[in-house]
Amino acid sequence: MTGTPADGGSRDIQDVDALITDRYLESILAAHGRGADTGPTLAGARLDPNVRMAAEHLARDLPRLHPSFRFEEALARKLGEAAARMRLPLAAGGERVIVPLAGRSPFLPVAARDDDDRFRLRADPRLAIGRPLLIGGALTSAALSLAGAAYVAWRIRHPQTSPMARAVRAVARTRLA
Amino acid sequence: MTRPALRKVERPEDGGPRLAHLDRDRRLVEAAQSDPARFEALYRKYLAQVYSFAYYELRDHHEAEDATERTFLAALANLARFEERARPADGEGASTFRVWLFQIARNAVAERRRRQRRRREEPLEAAATVADPLDVEATAIRHDATTAAVRAISHLPGDRRRALILRFVDEMSTQEIAGILGRSEGAVRVLIHRALRSVARELDDRPR
Repeated sequence: MTGTPADGGSRDIQDVDALITDRYLESILAAHGRGADTGPTLAGARLDPNVRMAAEHLARDLPRLHPSFRFEEALARKLGEAAARMRLPLAAGGERVIVPLAGRSPFLPVAARDDDDRFRLRADPRLAIGRPLLIGGALTSAALSLAGAAYVAWRIRHPQTSPMARAVRAVARTRLA
Repeated sequence: MTRPALRKVERPEDGGPRLAHLDRDRRLVEAAQSDPARFEALYRKYLAQVYSFAYYELRDHHEAEDATERTFLAALANLARFEERARPADGEGASTFRVWLFQIARNAVAERRRRQRRRREEPLEAAATVADPLDVEATAIRHDATTAAVRAISHLPGDRRRALILRFVDEMSTQEIAGILGRSEGAVRVLIHRALRSVARELDDRPR
């Protein structure tokens, strides 16, 4: 379905305006990133003054937010524990482990983006099974290989200071106990 | 201006090496894929951005934390299956990991929104006061402007609002936003332009 020539012309104008707006946003956001004022720009001069003022207002006044440090560290610990659960079977000689936290995450982007392979996920039919899986290696601590045990021991002897690393070590100690 | 990072990639099937665009986060992603404990670097890098996006969308501190937590846990659990490929067309410093992470965040936020029985407006005021909590005078002066900005984008419909949040708060490129919203770059440019016109009208109408 095609529009009238007038519609096409209107769309073209809109596209050009949108492109000018985009160029202007690039310049003001880059300037804000450097902590500098935006000087006069060609795109700014061609832009609708109301749109320009709105863009400057948002760039200047929209706050960026950070969660509480308590939340940040608590989530770091949770991620560390999840990472440890993923690492131990790897250390035991497993080729790769996938530990779905509650089956396959419903939040994952749709994998079937055939038009854009940047977001392609490695297809593996086994991922549809909603429970922890180990592909090509041992599953439990009882099946730790010598190489895996040596690797875990090495990690424990080389401590890191972050909460995530501490959580990884704590889970490792629990599993080895 | 720095030059795009490129590296040689061996492609025997093509008869020799070629240059491939090096994704900004590629080293961090590869490190985390080989050792999940090293996911922490990506987590620390993008925590505030994901949380900001979630907070602007959900307008509730606890809901935003919940969506943020689900986003990072899902990303870690599925990182081994993520294949990161930036293209020169994605622009300098592009990160397909960030796009992938925000796709997850968008889905997590959508799920939380579905669960919200009603939307609460009060936390918007809280967002407005977070601009610089240590500088009381400056915060007071900027409070009105910040409140107006937050309120103006909160009145926008779905993808227009998301596009402005990703552009202005998370400072993403048009290409990245297109990847997250599943639209073409041209469509995102028009979306942002229209959204700014709406914001301009809203700011113009507010009582002074």
